[in-house]
Amino acid sequence: MSERVLLIDDEKEFLEVMSERMQTRDIDVTTATSARDALALVEKESYDAIILDLQMPEMDGLQALERLKAINPDLQVILLTGHATVEKGVQAMKLGATDVLEKPADIQTLTEKIRKAHARKIILVEKENEAKIRAILGSKAW
Amino acid sequence: MSANRDSASELGLDFFGNMTASISHELKNALAIVNENAGLLGDLALLMEKGRPLSPERLVSLAGNIRRQVQRADDIIRRLNRFAHSAHEPAASTDLGEVLAFTVALADRLATMKGVTLTVEAGEPVTVEVRPFVLENLLWFCLQQLFTAAGSGTTVALAAEAEGATALVRIRCAAGTEVNAAATEVERAGQPLLAELQAQLGVAPAGGELLLRLPVRRVG
Repeated sequence: MSERVLLIDDEKEFLEVMSERMQTRDIDVTTATSARDALALVEKESYDAIILDLQMPEMDGLQALERLKAINPDLQVILLTGHATVEKGVQAMKLGATDVLEKPADIQTLTEKIRKAHARKIILVEKENEAKIRAILGSKAW
Repeated sequence: MSANRDSASELGLDFFGNMTASISHELKNALAIVNENAGLLGDLALLMEKGRPLSPERLVSLAGNIRRQVQRADDIIRRLNRFAHSAHEPAASTDLGEVLAFTVALADRLATMKGVTLTVEAGEPVTVEVRPFVLENLLWFCLQQLFTAAGSGTTVALAAEAEGATALVRIRCAAGTEVNAAATEVERAGQPLLAELQAQLGVAPAGGELLLRLPVRRVG
């Protein structure tokens, strides 16, 4: 099953080439050039991983991360940034980022992180389903 | 004067740090695109080995992408080099319009991050005797204060004109923008820069515009 990824970056050319490279690795990629567009997509669609640029116009990556997590706390968000200061990295992890990678990123490393994020999401969904089944079983007088 | 110089140096260091951090980020973005295009060429070569056809047009297009980003990186480095040298240039006759254009080029990315577009309006050439770095710093200081006042989705325009023995820089936001708070902050925290340049700051009577007056020739 191919991973569904949302790639967010204000550099259109970066999005085009990166999504083509991901597609050759059987990753299903959707792109957004702004955090605002990305938030609208996340409200409607489900993604296995979100790759988010830290520095973007109007709403920066950390603000976007906070808003994404507010929509769905289980979202697997990988931050991709030109310059990750330790402070920003720590802040991102505290806000629930799955990982922080520096540009230019190695596609192999990024792909591995996407696959891990996908696996983590499956575990979370399974746990959620298990909890739902337990709740149903507990509520019925069998 | 010495105290002013010290504080102007501190503000200068802060300015230098902000600009070089922004420039290095821009460079990283260009390098990331070069990296991915080179990676894509490698991916396509591997796919070609497995029998997938690869058109020469595709290769030409990818080479064009790389060339464009190399050109972009080269422009950024030229800007960085000019900026670095301006830090130790003494006061000299300087084309004010050129300083405005260069400051806008430096600040453009940071303005974009705030959703603000910067422009320079063409006008008659005006020459002033200044240290370009200090003037760039003061202009950046004014712009920073105006970003909040101007708000996202707006344009801030800079223009220079002669006014007798004075040169006038207009930094204009959209009509009706409240700029008094920005002017007060520049007067307060940017005082060492104003003093170093022997400049005066005001607000246009109609509002929405900072007016920076510089002597054409330095006194003393």
